[in-house]
Amino acid sequence: MKTGGRIASTACSALVAIVLAACAGRPPAPYERTPGATPGTRSPGSAQPPAPAAPGERPPAPAARQYRLGPAANALVAQAHTQANGGEFAGAAATLERALRIEPDNPLLWVELGRLQLQQDNAAQADSMGRKALSLATGDPDAQAAAWRLIADSLRARGRNGEAAEADSRASTLSPR
Amino acid sequence: MLLGLLGVAAVAGSAWVLYLDLLVTRQFEGRRWTLPALVYAAPLELYAGLPLPAAELAHELERLHYRRVTQLDRPGTYRINGGRLDVALRPARFPDEKRDAQLLSIFTGADGIESLRDSAGHEVPVMRLEPLLIGSIFPSHGEDRIVVTPQEVPPLLPAALKAVEDRRFDSHRGVDPQAILRALWVDARAGQIEQGGSTLTQQLVRSYFLSSRQTLGRKVREAIMAIALDAHFTKDDLMNAYINEIFLGQDGDRAIHGFGLASQFYFGKPLAELDLPEIALLVAVVRGPSYYDPRRHADRVLARRNLVLKELAEQHVVSAAEAAQAARRPLGVSPRPAGAYYPAYLDFVRRTLRRDYRDQDLTEAGLSIYTSLDPRAQDAAERALERELARLDHVKKHAPDHSLEGAVVVTEPQSGDVIAIVGGRDVGYDGFDRALDAHRAMGSLVKPFIYLGALESGRYNAATVVQDQPVDVPLPGGRHWRPENFNHDVNGPVPVVRALADSLNLATVGVGLDVGLPKVAETLQRFGLERPPEQVPAMLLGAVNVTPLEAAQLYNGLANGGFRNPLRAVRAVIGADGKALKAFPVQVTQVATPEAVYQLDRLLIAVMDRGTGRSARPLLPAQLVVAGKSGTSSEFRDSWFAGFSGSDLTVVWVGYDDNTPTGFTGSAGALPVWAHIMAGLNERSWNAPMPDGLVDIEIEYPTGLRALPGCAEDRVSVAVPAGVQVQPKPGCGFPDNGNLTTTLTDRAHQWIHELFR
Repeated sequence: MKTGGRIASTACSALVAIVLAACAGRPPAPYERTPGATPGTRSPGSAQPPAPAAPGERPPAPAARQYRLGPAANALVAQAHTQANGGEFAGAAATLERALRIEPDNPLLWVELGRLQLQQDNAAQADSMGRKALSLATGDPDAQAAAWRLIADSLRARGRNGEAAEADSRASTLSPR
Repeated sequence: MLLGLLGVAAVAGSAWVLYLDLLVTRQFEGRRWTLPALVYAAPLELYAGLPLPAAELAHELERLHYRRVTQLDRPGTYRINGGRLDVALRPARFPDEKRDAQLLSIFTGADGIESLRDSAGHEVPVMRLEPLLIGSIFPSHGEDRIVVTPQEVPPLLPAALKAVEDRRFDSHRGVDPQAILRALWVDARAGQIEQGGSTLTQQLVRSYFLSSRQTLGRKVREAIMAIALDAHFTKDDLMNAYINEIFLGQDGDRAIHGFGLASQFYFGKPLAELDLPEIALLVAVVRGPSYYDPRRHADRVLARRNLVLKELAEQHVVSAAEAAQAARRPLGVSPRPAGAYYPAYLDFVRRTLRRDYRDQDLTEAGLSIYTSLDPRAQDAAERALERELARLDHVKKHAPDHSLEGAVVVTEPQSGDVIAIVGGRDVGYDGFDRALDAHRAMGSLVKPFIYLGALESGRYNAATVVQDQPVDVPLPGGRHWRPENFNHDVNGPVPVVRALADSLNLATVGVGLDVGLPKVAETLQRFGLERPPEQVPAMLLGAVNVTPLEAAQLYNGLANGGFRNPLRAVRAVIGADGKALKAFPVQVTQVATPEAVYQLDRLLIAVMDRGTGRSARPLLPAQLVVAGKSGTSSEFRDSWFAGFSGSDLTVVWVGYDDNTPTGFTGSAGALPVWAHIMAGLNERSWNAPMPDGLVDIEIEYPTGLRALPGCAEDRVSVAVPAGVQVQPKPGCGFPDNGNLTTTLTDRAHQWIHELFR
C-alpha cells in the first residue's frame, strides 16, 4: 500500500509525540512533525528534534523539542527589533513577515509578530497571534510559555487581569522564568 | 480699412498662437505627473538552506532578465562558476527599503543554497532579489507607461533618436525647414510618403494631441506648438518628454508609451540595461509600432533595425564594427509581453485597492504596489490548467461544441497570501475572471464544514459509525428531498472517516441534519463565507454558491489550523516619493479549536490516501502529506478540488461558463489540475503538530473498528480525542475492556505532566 511507508506502527505513532527518540530509526510517523526532515522551498524548518537515542539506550526524558530561529529569520528578527525601537512599526512588521515566509510554522515568529501588535496597542490581534503561536508550539514548553505570556499581556492590556494571571501561571508552569 | 482688417487678423492670429502656446505648455507640464501605478510580484528571498538548485536560481535571474556573462560588468548580470554564482544586483526599491546596486555571491550545493556572501566576503544571512514587475494600472484610455529620468536613459538612445529621426534636433527651433524640404524631395522622387520631416518636438506635439490625420491646418498648428515648446523648454527636457511620451506598441487595450515601458514590454528589463541592437530595435519601432511590431513582423523589423544600425554607423554614433556586430544579433524580444502576464491576479489587486483609492490615484499618482504573487506558483498553475483542460476537452463525455473553462487560486495558508490566480484557460486574456466572478455551487466542498461542526459538538469522532441510508426530508409544500449517493448505492453503517473520504451523500446528510443546518451555516460564515447561505437541506450537498476565491478563503482556515486570515494580494502601497502609504499586515483570527481542525485535517488526509482524492497520489511525491476534498455539483455542472500541503493551498474549479453539465466529477476534472499544480510547487508536507489531548489510532476503513497491522488489512490512521471508546476489532489482541490507545496515552499524559510539574 502506498501510504504504508508513511505510517509507522501504531504503538510508535501513538507515542511518537511523547517519546520521539524511541521511534528513531523507523520511518517518520505519518502526521507528526518531523522537523528538519523535509524542508520545503519556503521553509527551512528549524525546530531541533532531540538527539536520537542509540538502540537499547533509555529514551531521553522530556518530549521537548526546542524551536529556534534559523540564521535568516534570526537576522530579520534583529532588524525588526531595530525598526520597532525606532518607531517604524510598519517596517518592522514587514521585516517579521519576511521571516515568517521563510519559517511559517515557527511559533517564535508569531510571538514576535504579536509583541509588535501589542506595541501598537492592538491587543486583540496580539492575543490571536499568541494563540496561533500556541497552536504551533505543541511539545516545546519554552515556546508555549512565550505564547502564554504574550496572551497574558494582551489580556492585561484589555483589563482582563484575572484571565491574564491564569495565562501567566500556565506560562510559569511550562517554563519557569 | 484694409489695415484694420489686417490688424484684427493679426490680433486673432496672435491670440490663436498664444492659445496654442498655453495649450501645449500645459500639456507638457501636466504630463510629467500622470504615472500609472506599477505592480510588483513578491521578491524571491535568498538564504542559506533555501532548497533552490543552481539551475533554478539561474532561471529566476533570467526571469528578471539578468544576463549571463563571463565578467560582471554592470548591474543586471551574473556568472556561474561551478557551485558559485556571482550576481550584480540592480538597485531596487522594496516597501521597507531602498537598496543600491551590489554584488552578491551565492554558493550552492546538492541541497540548494549553502551560503551567501557580499563583495567583501562577509556572510549575508538573507538577501532578496528585486521584485518582478508584473504590470501597471493604467487609465481607461489605455495609455500605459513607465516614466524614466534622464539618468535612467542610456546615452545611446537620444543619440540614436537624433541620428535617425531628427539630425538637427540640437540646433533647430522646434521645426526643421531643411528636413521638410529634404522629405518633400524624397517623397516627390519616390511618389509616396516615405519621410515625414517632423522633428522630435513635432512628433511629441502630435502624440500629446493624438491627431493622426495629417491636414495642412493640423500641420500648421503642430508646427506652432513645436516652436512654442522649443521656446519654453530646454532640449534636454524635450528629449526626456519624448522618451517618456512616444507610442511604441499596442497590447490589447493597452497602449505602450515611452521607452521605459517599451523596454520592459519587449525585453523585460530596465531601459538602462539595453545594448546597441536592442536600442536600435526600439528606435526602429518608433516609425510605426504596428507595421514594425517585433512580435508579429520579425523579418521586417530586423531589416529596419539593421538599417538604423547602418545609419548610426554612417553618422559616427557608433563604429562600423559595432554596428556590424549588432546587426548579427537576433531581435532578442521576449515571447510574451511583460506586464500582461497575470490579468486575473492584477484584477484582484485592482479590486483590493479600489476600496482605498480613487481610480485616478491608481492611474496617475505613480504608486508602487507590492503584491504576494509568486511567479513560480503562477506559472505552475497556468501551465497545469491549460494542459489539463486541453486533455479533458479531448476525453469529455458530453462533448458540447464549446470548450471547458477553469480557474485556480493558490494561497499560503499561514499568511493568507494569495500567490497565484488563474481566471480562465486563456491565461493572458483580460476578460471574465472566473476566480473572482464565477459564482458556482460548491458541491461536496461543503462537507468538511459539516464534519467540523460534528467534531466540535463532541458527539462525533473519526471512528464514529454513521448510517449511510436513504434520507427523506419533507419540504414545505408537500415536496420531499430524497438525495442519493453518487453511484446510487447505500452503504449502511460506515465510520465518519470513510463517509467523508468517499464523499458519501446519504451519511453526510444524516450527520448534517443531526448537527443542524444553522450550525453548518454558522461554521461556513465563521470561516469567511460572507453571504449567509440559505438554510435548506440541499445546502448539505453544496447548494451554496461560491467563487473559487471564496472557496480558497474557506479552506485557508482549515489549512491554517482553524485560524482565519483575510486573503490578501497586496502587501504594501508606496507613494511616488518613496513613502509607505498603506500596509496590509498579516492578521489572524481563531475561528475553530486546533483540536477540531486537526481531527478534520486528518480526515482530509484520508481523502487523499483512501478516498476521492487518491488518484492524485501517483502524480505527487510519495512522501508528501496532503489533505483535500473533491466537489461535484448536481449533474456534474461544477468540478472542484480544494486541498493543501504544509506550504500551499490550491483550489481548482472546472466547468462550462453556461453551466452545461461537464460529465466530470471533482476527482476527474479538477483533481488532475490540482495535482499537477501541487507537483510543480516545491511542497512541504502537511505537518501540523497534534494538539495535546488527541491520540493517533488506526481503524479499519470499512467498519471503523480499532485495528492493528496483522489483524486488519484495510486500515486508516486517524486522530481522536484521548479517552474516546473505539470498539476493537475482534482478534486484534486488544484488552477485553476496550482501548489500548486510551490506556497508553492516559499513562503517557500523566507522565509528561509530571515531568513539567
